[in-house]
Amino acid sequence: MSKKIKKKATKREKKDWLVAYLFILPLLAGILLFYVYPFIQNIWFSFNDVNKFNVATFTGFDNYIKMFQDKAVWQSLGNTFKYVLIVVPVSICLSLFIAALLNTKIKGKSIYRTIYFLPSVTMAAAVALVWKWIFNGQSGVLNAILRAFGLSAREWLQDPKTSLYCIMVVGIWMVVGYNMIILLAGLQGVSKSYYEAAAIDGAGPVKQFFAITIPLLSPTIFFVLITSIISGFQVFDTVYMMVGKGSMAFESTQTVVMLFYRNAFDYGQKGYAAAISVLIFVVILIITAIQMIGQKKWVNYD
Amino acid sequence: MKKRGLKIVALLMVSVMTVGMMAGCGSKKEEKSDGGKTTITLGMWDVKQSPFYDEAIAAYEAEHPDVNIEVQITPYKGGEYWTKLEASAAGGTAPDVFWINVLHAESYFDGGILKDLSDVAEEVALEENYPEALVEAYNFSDQQIGLPKDFDTNALWYNKDIFDKAGVEYPTDDWTYEDLVATATELKEAGLEEGVYPFVCPVDFQTWYYPTVFANGGWILNDDKTETGYADPKTQEGIQCWIDMIDQGLSPSSSVLAETSADTLFGAGQTAMVLAGSYMTPEYLTNDAINKSIDLVEFPEFNGEEPNVINGLGYAVFEGTKHEKEAKEFVAWLMSEEAMKLQGEAGTVISARNDAQHFFADSNKEINLAAYTNHADKAVPLPVCKVAAELYDLELSKLKLAYAGEESLEEVCKELKISADELLGTME
Repeated sequence: MSKKIKKKATKREKKDWLVAYLFILPLLAGILLFYVYPFIQNIWFSFNDVNKFNVATFTGFDNYIKMFQDKAVWQSLGNTFKYVLIVVPVSICLSLFIAALLNTKIKGKSIYRTIYFLPSVTMAAAVALVWKWIFNGQSGVLNAILRAFGLSAREWLQDPKTSLYCIMVVGIWMVVGYNMIILLAGLQGVSKSYYEAAAIDGAGPVKQFFAITIPLLSPTIFFVLITSIISGFQVFDTVYMMVGKGSMAFESTQTVVMLFYRNAFDYGQKGYAAAISVLIFVVILIITAIQMIGQKKWVNYD
Repeated sequence: MKKRGLKIVALLMVSVMTVGMMAGCGSKKEEKSDGGKTTITLGMWDVKQSPFYDEAIAAYEAEHPDVNIEVQITPYKGGEYWTKLEASAAGGTAPDVFWINVLHAESYFDGGILKDLSDVAEEVALEENYPEALVEAYNFSDQQIGLPKDFDTNALWYNKDIFDKAGVEYPTDDWTYEDLVATATELKEAGLEEGVYPFVCPVDFQTWYYPTVFANGGWILNDDKTETGYADPKTQEGIQCWIDMIDQGLSPSSSVLAETSADTLFGAGQTAMVLAGSYMTPEYLTNDAINKSIDLVEFPEFNGEEPNVINGLGYAVFEGTKHEKEAKEFVAWLMSEEAMKLQGEAGTVISARNDAQHFFADSNKEINLAAYTNHADKAVPLPVCKVAAELYDLELSKLKLAYAGEESLEEVCKELKISADELLGTME
């Protein structure tokens, strides 16, 4: 490197750095210990046969070869894509709609905001359990309502045709509030003067929404999109809680993380599980990279 | 000067935070050294058994004033107990003594985390005092890595209220499978209330179809664990008998049972009869909705045999324990006549020790708990191997298709045998 740019740091500067590093040390140590180290170890594990007690024997690409031949991997990956493809767009549209409504001057705004946000602060396992009861084929509320209207009841979570959609409904319900809060914050950063100017020019609320709100909100939408897709690929707790191994829908709802969990903790095949988690990582990485490139076309950072 | 003081304060704070974090991470077990006492930890999962341990530990500590026993309860549900045990064993901080079951014994032995307890076995005259099948289940390469503490078998429970309402006679100990079907049919024809079934047939291996498979001369695993017996017609008959009951409308469909467990249905008075392991006894007896009107009989005979599967828990000592002597002494005491009697009298599990088995049935004379122990000597141990957890899942994933009536049992068993044998081949 050129010596011209890299000035020698003065004693004083060095001291400042030291203090700064000391200040971030607690957090840095946590990240190194709980994120970076396990991440690297996980990649190492994926090339090993790891038993229940973390004893690793190097096996090269065996886990990856097994993974690409494993039908369950492809099926669960398909299930996960299906989940993401529906949950992400629907939840973002819904939360955008609700955020836009709650950004207007209506009574009891803060009550609505709280209500919509509540699912996000509730434990996913508890949410899943309650929804499991709602969907219960024998005594579920949903079937009771359907019967009251003379419609036929179904075994919602047992039927491979409906089970994954039920889980999507819960997934959307849980995430809408969180996305809404972020979008709401974005909306409040949009200056009122744009709308006033647009109104004078004769633009209606719909036109205003698409011509002002969406473009100005695009950085926030982009953020929500990225985080939603990542958490969509990691869906686990609702599936784990709502669909048991004995359900006919088990195979058609199993997600990749669920498959990872079974291999790691039910079967004690931690090396294979590590390989599956690397697959999830790579898939998320590629999709996020595509989005980062694609965003240049539609995200407006003015 | 002032600035320097601030800097020192900042440095101090940072180091305190860092040290605090480090202390939080390494959850190293602190040896309680109150008055030179040795602390032995006991890892278990069943809260229902803590009254026994409270009593037993108090008795033990009175005899051994220099030992302090600490119980660590981790829930079994969702595999939490095993996950935690495996992680702590890998980290060297597992409890000194812990519960183990037959399903995990071999892989834990392979993992080298269990002490050989042959000396303790000799001390308590294990072979003489304990059922052979259970002793052998914890013996690998001539090492006794676990000591059987209790066992469970299965029996048929019934709800007298439902029988009385329908005017049908109660089951008896000498029932056969045919009697079960006949009575279930009678109950159905007598007209049960909406949502109440005569019987339940979930896809359950240990309590439902393994007993009948074995009674029928069928098999699941061969001796050297290289082949499965699903293709044997005798195995299939032992499974088909339960599917038949679903087809005849004597049990709710498999999709109902996949959502609501058989135990839950029985607990809610929604089934007249249910098969249940002896470990369910405390739960049924403390359920106020049914506990005044339930009783039990032996597992109905099948093919002229007394069907049953025996399984049970054992004590193991952690290879990395720092107090091997004290841990072994404690286990030896837990296996003694005195402790086994206490355990049996608590009425939650059947003590494995031959001379203490009857205490379980004696703990509640109002109901026929002897149904669990009458033919325990004829019960077959659960078939296990190193990939048992995967094998059971595979079995369930295929058999559920037959239970739901989507494919014939013969067809799914053919597929099941192929994938199961392949799975067995992955064991080295």
